[in-house]
Amino acid sequence: MNATVESERTIGHADRRWLFQGIGLTAVIIVLAILFIAINPRFGTLANLINILTQASFIIVIAVGMTFVITSAGIDLSVGSAVAFITVVAFGLIKGGLNPFLGVVFMFALGAFIGCLIGGFVAYVKIPPFIATLGFMAGLRGLALVHSAGEMHFGLPVSLTYIGQGDIAGIPVPVIISFAAAAFGAWLFNRTRFGLYVKAIGGNREAARLAGVPVNRIEVMVYVLMGMFTALGGLIMMTRIDSTQATIGTAMEIHVISAVIIGGTSLFGGRGTIYGTVMGALLLSMMNNALIIAGVDFFWQLVVMGCIVLIAVAISNLREQRIPLLAHFLRRAPKGAAANNPADGPSH
Amino acid sequence: MKSDTRTDARPARVLVVERLSKSFGGLKAVDDVSLEVFEGEILALVGDNGAGKSTLVKAIAGAQPPDSGQILIDGVARQLNTPRDASVAGIGCLHQGLGLVDTLNVPENVFLGRELTTKLMNCIPQLDQTKMRERTIELLSGFGISLPRLNDPVVGLSGGQRQTVAISRLLLQDVRLIIMDEPMAALGVEEGRRVLDLVRTMSQRGISVIVITHNLEHVFQLADRIAVMKNGRLVGLVNAQATTRYDVVRLITLGKSDQGN
Ligand SMILES: Nc1ncnc2c1ncn2[C@@H]1O[C@H](COP(=O)(O)OP(=O)(O)OP(=O)(O)O)[C@@H](O)[C@H]1O
Ligand SMILES: [Mg+2]
Repeated sequence: MNATVESERTIGHADRRWLFQGIGLTAVIIVLAILFIAINPRFGTLANLINILTQASFIIVIAVGMTFVITSAGIDLSVGSAVAFITVVAFGLIKGGLNPFLGVVFMFALGAFIGCLIGGFVAYVKIPPFIATLGFMAGLRGLALVHSAGEMHFGLPVSLTYIGQGDIAGIPVPVIISFAAAAFGAWLFNRTRFGLYVKAIGGNREAARLAGVPVNRIEVMVYVLMGMFTALGGLIMMTRIDSTQATIGTAMEIHVISAVIIGGTSLFGGRGTIYGTVMGALLLSMMNNALIIAGVDFFWQLVVMGCIVLIAVAISNLREQRIPLLAHFLRRAPKGAAANNPADGPSH
Repeated sequence: MKSDTRTDARPARVLVVERLSKSFGGLKAVDDVSLEVFEGEILALVGDNGAGKSTLVKAIAGAQPPDSGQILIDGVARQLNTPRDASVAGIGCLHQGLGLVDTLNVPENVFLGRELTTKLMNCIPQLDQTKMRERTIELLSGFGISLPRLNDPVVGLSGGQRQTVAISRLLLQDVRLIIMDEPMAALGVEEGRRVLDLVRTMSQRGISVIVITHNLEHVFQLADRIAVMKNGRLVGLVNAQATTRYDVVRLITLGKSDQGN
């Protein structure tokens, strides 16, 4: 088979509608960026653009994990608390003399362990993900506070701060990590059996089970994956500011879930897009950055983010024609008028 | 059991169901059912709504383990706790309501649970989407069907197209026994006939088929034997040639035939 046909097929296989959505979102980002630069040239400096990417990096990483969770028809509200718990414990251990490399390994193991517990409750105890992770949200925050209430940890070894503060050829390491994580996530999501099973479970759990998909095991794996992406996000956060505390990551789940939803992943489960998630996170990061430059305070940033989420979901519902009346006006012009003419012909 | 004496004359017994029961709360959905299916045989399973047909075949397909009773495949007792167990034992099943995942596209639905994979850089397994697509096109064209948008979620397909997708799942497996729970339900005349042909072809290849349908015309066109269920019990098991539509209707509705069973 020749190469051209091969690549055409591969491209053809990508779900076009979602690709289009990704391109739509990308267009929105570009238009907004141009608008912001026109309003305030300071927005468009290279340093600021890199800053936007860096700000988005840990959200991107965690949101990639969240894309799997939401696509499986789940949700994880505990990511912010998990970041706090994982980072304070690891920080304490590393400051206490643990080898930094082992410290990082420990973070991933802890993240995976937390995910395994959540997944176990969801898949085997049949606790709805919303409730299960609400419990973990409170519980893990509590444990983080028990571990180091009111304490501010700081002073990591250079080998670790490099992860958050270093750069390669001018590109910050967190940005590189986030894009690598997204690329890996996209491959896992689109090209592997695991990714297919995640979508199958979210789309129709019973049908997936009947087809022989080990639904419970896959569901646990989804939360384990989420936990490891959360650990990576936490690693970036803590090494970037070289500190952590028990209150870190408060309300982070809102940002992460917003990024995923803006990106076009269905909250009903069954389909999602990693590319969209990355774009969603970038859009949020860009908006926040623009608002900061414009001197708008943090509280208003939350309001703006809320509005973006609502608009994004409204647009995607329109596209999926869940709102019949509006969709009626948005539909392509009916061919009926043209098709009727020939039929009229003979009667003249 | 009356058929025991005839075992030698008949082809091998692919499936033997012994005293199978399944209750939901106080309701006996399947009540002490025993049944055999021979190699290459087409067995029609009929009965009113709620008679227990789907519950019976779900047990055989590993989708819903029974409370009691035994299932033997090729003479070996098998514990079929998951659909995969049944699949390994050579049983393929088209469930009522099709069991498609709406959000997945056509090849993904066809191959779900039996994906084709390749190796990325010769070591990491990943889906072979190109090959699955090609095989899907082949399978569907075997039905004389070409779907314009294989990559779109199957939620956008017509009822008959969805049914064809679900049926083509059965053709991928190496099976001894195929179970079809109302395979003709949403099909047009032409597609319906293709399914009938398909069932016959399979039976000629030695594959046994259990087909559930409410359409008695199809039953008499296809079946070697007809099993009738009522209120969870097997009330009749008759040779299609030796019975009439009238008798079968009586069995379905009254649970007994004229001959006084
Ligand atoms: N999961 C379940 N939980 C509770 N009751 C069930 C369940 N599945 C089936 N039943 C009950 O068991 C009985 C048999 O159902 P079943 O689906 O096997 O009937 P059927 O013969 O396939 O009917 P139909 O022709 O309508 O498909 C019905 O009364 C049904 O309500
Ligand atoms: Mg049924």
